Amino acid sequence: MAKPQEPFFVGWGKVPKALKTFLALSTASFVISFAVAAFAISATQTDTGSGAFMGQANAVGIMKVDPYPVLHVIESDKFEKGDVVLLSGGGKRGVFNRAKNLDGEIVQLAGLRMERGDLDGLQLRGGMRGLSVAENPDPEFEIEVEPLGRWKLAGEICDGKCLTGAMRPGNGLAHKACANLCLIGDVPPIFVSSGPVEGHEFLLMAGADGKRLGDEILDFTATYVEIEGEIERRGGMLVFKIDTDTIRLAK
Amino acid sequence: MSVKYIPVQWNANKWKYDAALIVAVVAYILIYMEVGTPAAGLERPLDNLILRMRAFGTCAFWMLTFILCIGPLARLDKRFLPILYNRRHFGVLTTAVAFSHAVFVVSWYFSFSPTDSYVALLTSNLSFGQVLGFPIEALGILALFLLAILAATSHDFWLAFLSAPVWKSLHLLIYPTYALVVAHVALGYLQNSENQTFAFLLVGAGLTVAGLHFLAWDKERRVVAATTDWVEACRPEDIQDKRAVIVALSKEERVAIFRSGNSFSAVSNTCAHQGGPLGEGKIVYGHVTCPWHGFSYKACNGRSPAPFTEMIPTYNMKLDDGVLYIDRQANQPGTDVEPVIYEVADNG
Amino acid sequence: MTLIMIATWYLYAGAAVAVWFVLYAIGRLDENAESAWIFRPLLVPGVLLIWPLILWRCTVLWRGEDKLDRHRMPRKKQDRAAIVFVFAIPLILILAIGLRQDPSDLAGPIQLEAPK
Repeated sequence: MAKPQEPFFVGWGKVPKALKTFLALSTASFVISFAVAAFAISATQTDTGSGAFMGQANAVGIMKVDPYPVLHVIESDKFEKGDVVLLSGGGKRGVFNRAKNLDGEIVQLAGLRMERGDLDGLQLRGGMRGLSVAENPDPEFEIEVEPLGRWKLAGEICDGKCLTGAMRPGNGLAHKACANLCLIGDVPPIFVSSGPVEGHEFLLMAGADGKRLGDEILDFTATYVEIEGEIERRGGMLVFKIDTDTIRLAK
Repeated sequence: MSVKYIPVQWNANKWKYDAALIVAVVAYILIYMEVGTPAAGLERPLDNLILRMRAFGTCAFWMLTFILCIGPLARLDKRFLPILYNRRHFGVLTTAVAFSHAVFVVSWYFSFSPTDSYVALLTSNLSFGQVLGFPIEALGILALFLLAILAATSHDFWLAFLSAPVWKSLHLLIYPTYALVVAHVALGYLQNSENQTFAFLLVGAGLTVAGLHFLAWDKERRVVAATTDWVEACRPEDIQDKRAVIVALSKEERVAIFRSGNSFSAVSNTCAHQGGPLGEGKIVYGHVTCPWHGFSYKACNGRSPAPFTEMIPTYNMKLDDGVLYIDRQANQPGTDVEPVIYEVADNG
Repeated sequence: MTLIMIATWYLYAGAAVAVWFVLYAIGRLDENAESAWIFRPLLVPGVLLIWPLILWRCTVLWRGEDKLDRHRMPRKKQDRAAIVFVFAIPLILILAIGLRQDPSDLAGPIQLEAPK
């Protein structure tokens, strides 16, 4: 009549024999599930591409502060003549305040180079050694400006520092708040286009008036969006002058 | 089982339990950082701190998923009860792993900026009005805060001080906590990674937890409240020796009728410690013993043996035409009740 | 930032309550805690986080208003919480999976107007 009794476990007592195998198997599968999950998640992480810090660099070139400070390289130990280099300070800071009085001047720079594809960046050293007026300017260099018309692009708004190589990964939604923090700190925003425009995948962003952007793009960073605006070639870099009211999430 | 409180009442089973936890967590972190990531074939290594954020964050999620499975598993299959026994240590360790994840995030994503780290953490993403791009940090902070409350109030003192019902209500916060964590991950890292493996694991984990809770809820739902003053329980023969049968007086109130040889006693089914189901326990060394944490009571008066002081209510019973009936009115905790004596033919 | 201010003051208040509670009150409220000192530091984080609840429980216990229904567990509450939970989790997941953006679906650059 009576059924065989189920084994009963008391925490402070001994584990009943009948439960031992069950518990050993449960424990083993528990530990194995941790190992398998760890491997499955880590081994399938998305590649973040080539962006990285590339060591010290020096450059002489023309400083342009609108919409964000960049250097059009004339001469450098690491950059090519004509390269356009995004400038940033230490950490999540831009260099607008250091550069604003040097717009159009020929300057010499030193700092840490960053590179991702055709996107170049330089984290300036502090003080005069990082940024000063060049001693022997070469006046023959000219920046060509060419309007490319109105475009509709799809892609991601990133901060120009983490993306170029200061962080890996320096894009994506998990990194959104960090990207915003860089942009609030005046690091130049970069649009990563889904396809190249005139050979450029990375475009420096500006407002429709060609000036720096405000907080209005912060809601749209780190997601895939579609934006309309004028594109202009300035030397070796494209500037995307966006109409902020055309930004919408890409479907 | 309290007498004087001490920080942790260790015993052999808890040591084994904690050892298994630590092995699992260490294996997870090491495999994630040292085996899996190198095998991913990345062009350049990820930032070490981002790697740690991911390893500790996903590990905490995996741990929390297991914790949420233990309760319903134990309700559906009693063999899982030993895993529930030391669940609080699991919870505390999970909180520690989640906290490490948060520290890595703050010291990488929210540092090196002219803005103070904590101000940056709370203000650099204010897109509360949208789902995609929602500030996942807020979800994570809230979840971590709730986890910290649960971990910090896991000592037995809190059960006694807050009383089991208040404590249990407080610890129901684990549900919103897990929901917050799922949202934190689903709107964050899930969107960040293009691979399907993570999506598959996340959805699998979430649906397993939800499914198990549904099954346990469904089992609970079948309980029907009694309507008479004397509630028909069962025949004495239906109870195995040293075991009990659980009778529901209402959804909230259940009675365990224990049999010890030929004597039958009814006590509250709810352990005074953490509300464990006494009726799923057993009479060990002459005392009703809770299947959760081994608290014990005398069946005849619901009192824990000295020096312990816990008490549970008892119930009056009568035998009528070979059937046991329970008085719906509970006695005060610790009240003596004469056991019902019935000669059971088959002493199985 | 006001939120950080509030959080800081909440924790300061919790610290004050913790000192009073851990050193004085618990010995009076719980006989098992009398002259048990080693476990008490373990309670501090709990007090910091839930001190308003603790003050409420202290007044209940002191006035002797503690109901003797410690055996009645909040099962209904748990049932309700569980069923909301059972539906909330898949909903969150469906929503998040539905919103997932695939970069390979993005349209390429389109020139809307030629340069003037």
